[in-house]
Amino acid sequence: MTLRLKLLLLGLATLVLPWAGCRYAREMESALREGEATSLQAVAQTIAASLQGRTDLLYREPPPAPAPPAQPLAPAGGTEASPQASADGATATADVAAAATPALPAAPAATVASTAPAAAPADAAAGGPGKSGPYDLEPLVLTAAPLLDGYTEDWPRLPAAWKHFARDPQRHFGILTGVYERMLFVLLDVHDEHPLFDAPGTNVLDPATFGDRVWLGFEDPQGEQHQVFLAATGPGSVTARRVEIGEYGQRSAPIEPRIRGAWQTTSQGYRIELRVPLSMLGRGFGVLVDDRDRRGAVPVSYGMLRSDDLHTRGRLIVASPELGPYLTQFLQPGLNLTLTGTDGQVLARADALAVAGTLGAESPLLARLYRRFVDRPGERQLIESSAPIWDRDHQGVIGALAVTQAADRWIHLRDHALTRMLNFALITSLVAVTVMFAFAAWLALRLARLRRASESALTGSELTTTFPETGARDELGDVARGFATLLSRLNEYTSYLRTLAGKLAHEIRTPLTIVRSSLDNLESEQVSPAAREYVARARQGSERLNAILIAMGAATRVEEAIGGAERVQFDLVPVLASAVAAYRGAFPARRFDTELPGEAVTLAGAPDLIVQMLDKLVDNAVDFSPAGAVITVRLRLEPLAAVLEVENLGPPLPLHVERRLFESLWQSRPDGDSRPHFGLGLYIVRLIAAFHAGEATAVNLPDGSGVRFAVRLPR
Amino acid sequence: MKRQVAIVEDEPAIRDNYAAAFAREGYAVRGYANRAEAMRSFTARLPDLAIIDISLQDEPEGGFELCRQLRALSAELPIIFLTARDSELDAVSGLRLGADDFLTKDLSLPHLIARVNALFRRLDALRKPAAPADVIRRGALTLDAERMQAQWNGAVVLLSLTEFWMVHALARHPGHVRNRQQLMDAANVVLDDNTITSHVKRIRRKFQGVDAQFDALQTAYGMGYRWVE
Repeated sequence: MTLRLKLLLLGLATLVLPWAGCRYAREMESALREGEATSLQAVAQTIAASLQGRTDLLYREPPPAPAPPAQPLAPAGGTEASPQASADGATATADVAAAATPALPAAPAATVASTAPAAAPADAAAGGPGKSGPYDLEPLVLTAAPLLDGYTEDWPRLPAAWKHFARDPQRHFGILTGVYERMLFVLLDVHDEHPLFDAPGTNVLDPATFGDRVWLGFEDPQGEQHQVFLAATGPGSVTARRVEIGEYGQRSAPIEPRIRGAWQTTSQGYRIELRVPLSMLGRGFGVLVDDRDRRGAVPVSYGMLRSDDLHTRGRLIVASPELGPYLTQFLQPGLNLTLTGTDGQVLARADALAVAGTLGAESPLLARLYRRFVDRPGERQLIESSAPIWDRDHQGVIGALAVTQAADRWIHLRDHALTRMLNFALITSLVAVTVMFAFAAWLALRLARLRRASESALTGSELTTTFPETGARDELGDVARGFATLLSRLNEYTSYLRTLAGKLAHEIRTPLTIVRSSLDNLESEQVSPAAREYVARARQGSERLNAILIAMGAATRVEEAIGGAERVQFDLVPVLASAVAAYRGAFPARRFDTELPGEAVTLAGAPDLIVQMLDKLVDNAVDFSPAGAVITVRLRLEPLAAVLEVENLGPPLPLHVERRLFESLWQSRPDGDSRPHFGLGLYIVRLIAAFHAGEATAVNLPDGSGVRFAVRLPR
Repeated sequence: MKRQVAIVEDEPAIRDNYAAAFAREGYAVRGYANRAEAMRSFTARLPDLAIIDISLQDEPEGGFELCRQLRALSAELPIIFLTARDSELDAVSGLRLGADDFLTKDLSLPHLIARVNALFRRLDALRKPAAPADVIRRGALTLDAERMQAQWNGAVVLLSLTEFWMVHALARHPGHVRNRQQLMDAANVVLDDNTITSHVKRIRRKFQGVDAQFDALQTAYGMGYRWVE
């Protein structure tokens, strides 16, 4: 793994920042959510408090106190209201309470009764939220007014909301009620095997004409019982009529225009859809079906009214029409206020969930991207809170307010913070990674420079003592300085070694001269033939010693020759051809091939030195090739250089010596070679190549059969 | 009267060996170990030939200084540098100072004596009128083997003994390549390739000093040299 990669990975570690940011965003989100929930709770409690004891609004009770409902936020001043006023309010409802006996709420009313002032029991019993009785109706809060056509399509499909009343298996009906704004809507589905319309065009009060009829009984706001009947002579719109008995006992059935409806036959019987203004209605409400199998027959009556006097038995538990607007004033975009009664039926609802919040503008792409990382999928982005609505005395619960807030608002807040933080973290990471990468690249560059310098220091034509990075003050600089010191020591050592041969040769020459001159003199003396033999041997030895000295000084002399060489323009081809011709004579045991270009190859340099260099290369090739082998001398032309190559068959180079081959005093020769060698031949080649700004290399032939030495000479 | 040969050499064994050899040849030999000693004697009486080592005891370049002083005393006196040092620079310096020859101690005693004899012969010949028998003419070149003198277009080219013998060996058979060994044998020297190369260069330069167009001494690369008329 390169340094660059390592530091890059290190830089990537800063990506922990955005990750931490996400974690933080989630924490922040839950904190925000908690805060929002708390404030929502406060909102719910405030609204609930403003509705404390407002049974007039919740259940259309008469105002509990003279205090007008114009101060909705006043915490139900009812507790402080005078008992007299409460009593006034209660008188009107007392009858109803009595009338509604079967549906009387039990426990809460009882407890209130025991502790509250005299008027309170009635009030509590009437307006008390208690359990609804079997005849009580809890209308749905409709979101739109159904069309009065006798069909159910525009009603919510809520089978649980239907109430069923049965006389026997053949006679039963279901009733569904709903409130929209100030109207009560009633859907009546009657099961009747023999649906029968009134006889048309006759007096509606003539019993002989009676078909199936439906009675509607209700209390008006003043607590008086009223009844109207619905009779139809055919499918279609239907009117309600009330029976009035005049001053003289005459009966009439005027139409009640405020009640409108439609009558439709069905496969099982008939269906009636009605609309009654809530302003007509007090607490009680019910329907009674008069089922006749035949016109004018005695009806089979069943339903929710008392069959004797058609008084209501059940209550209509419905909020005041004012409640909706009352809630709406608290409404804000993204809020949903739902007011429920004691047993969970919805009394009023104000919904602005779908309305986009003021802050909920379209978030930018980046924020949406971030959100994907933070949000858990499938999470409901809603917070809910609810608060009970107490009665005036804070003793019983008369309802509950549920407040739901869409998440948009705080999601947006969170997104805002998250986006900024993540942007910041990402930029930080990016900068860190970039800086680290740049630093790594810089370090790697410096290291590479050091490596190159250290590699080329020993193998270049000259031992390099100048080293890069030595000026740097950091650890790399220390390393470089260490290298430079090492190299300069090595350089001293190498130059000492290089001159050692010359110096040694010089020092040995004097004693050798003594020996040789003595031998010369000795030959002039009269010595015995036996002694002459020893003299001859001594001379042989001294001659060999002399050859060694010459070889040892060769490099020094070449260096001097190079120092004094003159550069001339010359054609390399005839020089090489002539030299190779000489080698053919000098080494008859080898065959020499030449591959020389046909054109003139002009070079600026010293032809003597070139030949001397070729001498060394050929000498080397001869030494390392078997007898009879072919030695190829080739001059190859490259665009900018002439490459002189000498190839010989023979043992390949040992591994990894290519670069050391041309160093001074280095050799790799088989033992047992009688001629003195000091590893200077190829060093001389390198010196001469360097003089010509060239470079000497050695490679094994591709098939491993031999070695190729090449000297690249720039033209 | 015996010719006087002075040997200035700080190594007694070598000095004595040389002295013995010259004495055997019939020369009167005087040996000196250092420059001061030699100069004292030379100012009293000049030898007929001086053989000088370059480094003399505590003077690494003492031989050069001695050569300069000796040349000041006599322009005619043959001076031979004989040294263990074989550097090109030394040879150039020595010859520039007016030495007649620059020899290394590789040279065997018989070779040395042959040269000394040759030098004396040249001295004698220069004093006598030219004997045309020993004169070789090759175009512009005239070689007087007796006086060991070369002329190019009539102008004298001052060659050292080694140089003269080399030119002589080459010019005797123009067009024939003489290899290095042949040249060394002719010049009675043992030299390595680079020294021969520098000798040849020096010869060319000397001829070019007389005639800038000189091109008679050619290199046969890898083989040797040849004289071209």
